[in-house]
Amino acid sequence: MLPDVRDRLPGMAPKSASMKGFYRQKKSTKSTASKNVSTKKSPNLPMPYDSDITQPAALISHGSLDLKDSYKEDEQILGRFDMNMAYGPCLGMSRQARWERALKLGLNPPEEIESILKRGKVGSVCLWEGRV
Amino acid sequence: MEVDSPDKIPRKQASYHSLDEPFVIQKETYGGQQYSQIYFARLQLLRALLRPLVTSWKPHVPICNVLGIERGKECIVVGTLYKHMKLKPSVLDEYSKERSATPITIPHKFMHQDDYLVLEDESGRVKLGGSFLLPSQYVTGVVVSLLGSEADAGYFHVDDVLEAGLPSQLEMPLKSGENKYVVLISGLNVGNSTSNPLQYQLLVDHITGHLGDKQAQGMAAQIVHLVIAGNSVEIPHGLLNKQNLASTDQSRIAEPIKELDMILTEIAAGLPLDIMPGPNDPANFSLPQKPLNRCLFPSSATYNTFRSCPNPHSFEIDGVKFLGTSGQNIDDLEKYSEGRDKLEFMERTLRWRHLAPTAPNTLGCYPFIDTDPFLIKSCPHVYFIGNQEKYDTKLIKGTAEGFSSRGYYKAASAKTPQLSWYWHLSSWAHHMGTSRNMMYGMALGSLQCS
Repeated sequence: MLPDVRDRLPGMAPKSASMKGFYRQKKSTKSTASKNVSTKKSPNLPMPYDSDITQPAALISHGSLDLKDSYKEDEQILGRFDMNMAYGPCLGMSRQARWERALKLGLNPPEEIESILKRGKVGSVCLWEGRV
Repeated sequence: MEVDSPDKIPRKQASYHSLDEPFVIQKETYGGQQYSQIYFARLQLLRALLRPLVTSWKPHVPICNVLGIERGKECIVVGTLYKHMKLKPSVLDEYSKERSATPITIPHKFMHQDDYLVLEDESGRVKLGGSFLLPSQYVTGVVVSLLGSEADAGYFHVDDVLEAGLPSQLEMPLKSGENKYVVLISGLNVGNSTSNPLQYQLLVDHITGHLGDKQAQGMAAQIVHLVIAGNSVEIPHGLLNKQNLASTDQSRIAEPIKELDMILTEIAAGLPLDIMPGPNDPANFSLPQKPLNRCLFPSSATYNTFRSCPNPHSFEIDGVKFLGTSGQNIDDLEKYSEGRDKLEFMERTLRWRHLAPTAPNTLGCYPFIDTDPFLIKSCPHVYFIGNQEKYDTKLIKGTAEGFSSRGYYKAASAKTPQLSWYWHLSSWAHHMGTSRNMMYGMALGSLQCS
């Protein structure tokens, strides 16, 4: 049975003449799909260390688990580089620029950081960039 | 005035090198960084300079960072000073609840006897105590090394302090026989309501050699360079704050710059000229100030002798190194610390090896990421600041390296716009030229330097 259009449209007088019926709100009965938490995150941001739920479905479906592991390791190394206070604050500059600054100031940053950054597939800025 | 003199007096020439590269913002882009980056760079650079000095100062005392100080154990810490000032104006005062407590008059000096110093490095910060270090002599942003130990109350008791000291200096070139002069002037304030245009004309005539007898012209021919250190125009502030400008107001804003352009054209036709921006000039606010745009000077910029320079400005003429600003750095030091006179503040900046330690705390500054351009890497032979109340000069002699540097500050103000400063390149001689001196032989007694 089709619902009466007068019940749906806001301005029209309802079938029942009482005011209670006029203001009665109807809940939308659409079925809601289970929301995926990861849809908000852009794939470019580095993932937190130990969570699997945020992996985009495509990556898992292709079964490239090796990629995931080295990606996590690289991110861990870079995260430690970010947090190392000997190289100064990490916010407001790209990781590459921070590494180059450390080199220029004679702080001897490890070269493997630069090679990881050159390899790509890692975040160009630290985890907190734009969030703090 | 002899016009068609058969023997012309040629102007002396001198080689000029600009050393302004660190002060010009070239490839920097703003990526949302904060000032912590410039403080980090400053601490790293100055700490690297201080480390070898510290080991020769107190060889047997260990160096540790702020977190490593222990009770009763003597150690050396290197870090940045922060001065907590009760009267320092803060943007948050507007929102504080006790609004009635804030004074209505704005003090020019923000010092208070309750100010205290804090030492900070990457690991932490510690309050400084003891009577050795006087907070009134220091400002936020200076990097020093301190000898002391942690007291029972938790603060760091200071027994001795080591500053970076005067940087090394390149050898002064050997004295040549020739006399060459560099003229430095500031505070022209063209467009000021009380200024007399004849005074600017007198300055131009003297420098270009149109004034005086053969002897005066000979002296003018020895001037090889002119540097204008800021505050060249004065645009009425009331006009700048208006929302809608009438066409008459628009031309009134442009008038001072046009007049300055005409003056500079006459000068640039005769000798090389550097113009620096100052606090009142149409340039950006934060240091390092960008050079004044060449479009502001349509006729003088066509000369290759016209050079628009940043503030601070560093250059070298015939081997003599000059470094100077339009005065903002020293004026800021005067507001937040105590000293006998401006020369003492200038000497302190040289000993701290930093042109503007209060930047970016109380002095506007660009948020550099990987360097601090205000570090004084090598000691200049002449260190100048413009736009001060009076003229003064002092010779500072270094210690072991055996060098000397002359610092001076020049008078500004509309009252004495013709106070120019002559620096003799070969010897340390200098003298102050006033428009009075240039008036011999001419019936211009009514022009007074008030």
